[in-house]
Amino acid sequence: MNPLLLLLLIPIAAIAAILWLPQICPKRITVTAFIVNFVISLGLFFQFEPGHGYHWVLKYPWFHLTNVAQINFHLGVDGISLMMIFLTTLVSLTAAWVTSKKVKRAREFFIYVLLISLGALGAFLSRDLFFIYIFHEFALIPTFLLIGIWGGQNRQFASIQMTLYLALGSLILLAGIVGLVLTQPLDSRSFDLEAIQQIHVIDDGVQKVIYPLLLIGFGILISIFPFHSWAPTGYASAPAAAAMLHAGVLKKFGLYGLLRLLLPALESGADYWRPVLLVLIIGNVFYLGYVTMAQKELPLMLGYSSVMHMGYLFLALASHHLVALTGFVLLMVAHGVSAALLFALAGEFQTKTGETRIASFGGLYTHAPFLGIMFLIGSMASIGLPGLANFSGEVLIFFGSFKSLPWVTVVCVWGVVISAVYQLRAVRLICFGTVSEVTAKLVDLSTYSARFPYLLLVAVSLWIGINPQSVIHLVQPCIESILNVGGR
Amino acid sequence: MNAILGTPEFLLTLAATLLLLWDAISNPTPRLLGRISFAILVGLFVYVIELDPKMNKTLWSGIYLWDAEAKFFKLFFILTSILVVWSIRLLESKIEVAKSEFYIITLFATAGMMLLSSVQDLVFLFVALELVTVSFYVLVAYHRSQTASLEAGVKYLIMGAVSSAFLVMGSAYLLGVTGSTHFDAINLALRSSEMKPEILFGLALVLVALFFKVSVVPFHVWAPDVYQGAPLPVTAFLAVGSKAAGFVLLLRLLTGPFAGEEVAGYWIPALAFLAIASMILGNFAAIPQRNLKRMLAYSGIGHAGFLLAGIVSNFFQGQAAVLIYLCTYLISAMTVFIAMSAYGKNSDSDHISNYAGLSRKSPWIAVPMALGLISLAGIPPCIGFIGKFTIFIAVWQSEHYVIFAAGVISAVAGLYYYLGVVRTMYWSNPTDMEPIEISFQTKIVLGLLSSSILILGFWSYPLFSIVNKIFLF
Repeated sequence: MNPLLLLLLIPIAAIAAILWLPQICPKRITVTAFIVNFVISLGLFFQFEPGHGYHWVLKYPWFHLTNVAQINFHLGVDGISLMMIFLTTLVSLTAAWVTSKKVKRAREFFIYVLLISLGALGAFLSRDLFFIYIFHEFALIPTFLLIGIWGGQNRQFASIQMTLYLALGSLILLAGIVGLVLTQPLDSRSFDLEAIQQIHVIDDGVQKVIYPLLLIGFGILISIFPFHSWAPTGYASAPAAAAMLHAGVLKKFGLYGLLRLLLPALESGADYWRPVLLVLIIGNVFYLGYVTMAQKELPLMLGYSSVMHMGYLFLALASHHLVALTGFVLLMVAHGVSAALLFALAGEFQTKTGETRIASFGGLYTHAPFLGIMFLIGSMASIGLPGLANFSGEVLIFFGSFKSLPWVTVVCVWGVVISAVYQLRAVRLICFGTVSEVTAKLVDLSTYSARFPYLLLVAVSLWIGINPQSVIHLVQPCIESILNVGGR
Repeated sequence: MNAILGTPEFLLTLAATLLLLWDAISNPTPRLLGRISFAILVGLFVYVIELDPKMNKTLWSGIYLWDAEAKFFKLFFILTSILVVWSIRLLESKIEVAKSEFYIITLFATAGMMLLSSVQDLVFLFVALELVTVSFYVLVAYHRSQTASLEAGVKYLIMGAVSSAFLVMGSAYLLGVTGSTHFDAINLALRSSEMKPEILFGLALVLVALFFKVSVVPFHVWAPDVYQGAPLPVTAFLAVGSKAAGFVLLLRLLTGPFAGEEVAGYWIPALAFLAIASMILGNFAAIPQRNLKRMLAYSGIGHAGFLLAGIVSNFFQGQAAVLIYLCTYLISAMTVFIAMSAYGKNSDSDHISNYAGLSRKSPWIAVPMALGLISLAGIPPCIGFIGKFTIFIAVWQSEHYVIFAAGVISAVAGLYYYLGVVRTMYWSNPTDMEPIEISFQTKIVLGLLSSSILILGFWSYPLFSIVNKIFLF
């Protein structure tokens, strides 16, 4: 059986199992399914032969959109999507694992988590734009329900704001996709990613229109400044699993889409709109960096910090440079892992203590050393300490983009300092000092089972940080082919 | 003669008349009559599917056209009617008098709608439309001890009369200018002579009458009151059947005799404006509604706007998109209405607040209803997305970017109020935990509808293969 199809069928089977076997603990079913998926994705990772082109391709004709194009159910992975699949299965597994099995309305909860994971996997596995879009939207309603039913403070407002924002982004994106597909002549028109990558000439005027549609559409999903306001409030009130999946995986979908669609097809559009994009990047890194510094609550700070880091990724996109774009993929994975780790910890703090203010914690390191160390490592990864994955991604991006965009790069490097300021302050307030009343309510994770998801995330971050070549050699050929087709 | 006897409309009218006589003579139980009506419709559905697929045949000296599109719409109306008749049974206890006639009048309205899908002549159009409208006059005011229902009946009567007047006046103008009421003759006259303002005036009058039927802004004011006051199955029938009937006529007229560039240059901008106004106003006015039927009425205005946008995209894609959108609307809206009926059997199902905590009281109603609402909002993988997607593509292709933008904005607004209902069902705490009894049959019907929302939303091949047969050359 095709392993990619298997990846999609396992969450579906798990949903069916939760529905039909109410006597089995839904968390157990979900975690088992995600372990299987994670093992499959590891297997794919080790069996993958670097080089461009797609592997494990599966293609069924699906239907013919009247007088427009044929739509196929078309799966396949290259180096980039392989890394995204790896990230998705990893974060899904840890997100389900850190959730308590005694969560209220547990069956519904785990069904929604499975649906989100299924949608993300489908979006990264598909090669037909129609299916990429449909799979991505799988997550919209489950996220709405997850935040609305299980969320913390301000959940009513946060969930509806987030859903409407994301729906608006998706529809703008749909306009961009439709416009892009319709630029092809009728006889060769298709929704296939590869066909889109091979569009050589799109009229300049058309590019100027489609580029901002795709940029804003995907940008809203990624929460680019100034369309970011849904993200921090949404993440702050989401249950840990939803925040991990969204900040860790779903947000990366927008970046993945930009890499796949914007770069190869819309070069003159990119040139035309680059100044605007650069302003947005600086806004993202600087304005949001300072906003993050002002945050008093841990989930909000993490939310803003995860939004702020998107600026580096957009810098790589704007630079259009091979090294920077390789770093782009690395940083996507690295940021997904570190964001998942930090949101998992924030969720743990919040459920055990009911407190979110950073200043009310203290002495975590002495009271609960394991959680303290994990928070320290997560923070260091987020700042970009060498040895952890984020560093290798950021460094590649800065090196790559310095050549074409020196000034903006210099400004963005300052963002590393900003993130060190707020993140280190959080570490000082939470981990060190005397044990506060709030921290005393925390219980350190003592069992291997409880520690496992955190250790897994740290291990992956360390592995990529120490040996980035293992990812780079998979990703680089794909980036090369994307850029070559673009004509550079 | 045989050909006339074989038309499905004739068979349905005959069956309905016989049922009416039987009811008058031996007074069978309404339940039995409902079952028989259901069986008749199912039989007719099979009969129409099996009917001679030889296309472009005309009957009755050319005023009745039997083609692929007509077959599609006839099946559409029968399917709607099957679901409506089935849902009447759920709420039968709420009908006070003349329960049997309720089924029979529904059959007459169905026959009228089916005739409309074959219309090729303005006079015939008027007759068929009146068959539908008069049946609805009775159905809307059926709860005659309730003031709301009576008010709805009166409003619908007045509005219906006004729109019929417009239709007759417009037909008279067109007859005066072109010398015929037959579509082909009008077409010929339009092509051979130069453009006259009288033609536009006549066309405008006819279109206004149809806009009343499909409740497009600014001819929509009757819809919320009538939807709210009418019995629930009638609301469903109005929302789906009557709206689709209006659109089949718009398609027949605007892609038939008035498709020529000279005339289209006038009606396309006008319809584009109305489409935008309907999408925006319908969806935004639905937001503050607390009565679910009223909300669905406004959302129906929004959906009419989307359908008009498909017609404006004067391409085959546009027409195909209208057909696809109607199918998706049929399935999604009927799921919501049947879920409401299943809930409304024992309680008041009109106010959104009554649905608080429904997901815990009865997932069998809450899940299909949530799916139906999300599908109406057009979120993948529900089938409603396919409808919106095809409309959006057609609109983009015909370069009506303003309509596209209005569609995006109104789709987001639509999501807001549909999710409001989902929120009430899933987040709020129920006021009582009394379990709701649902029959096995209801579970099957709701299960079938909601799985078709999901399956056809993801695997849309059947939908497109039917429509492609009509529009691919």
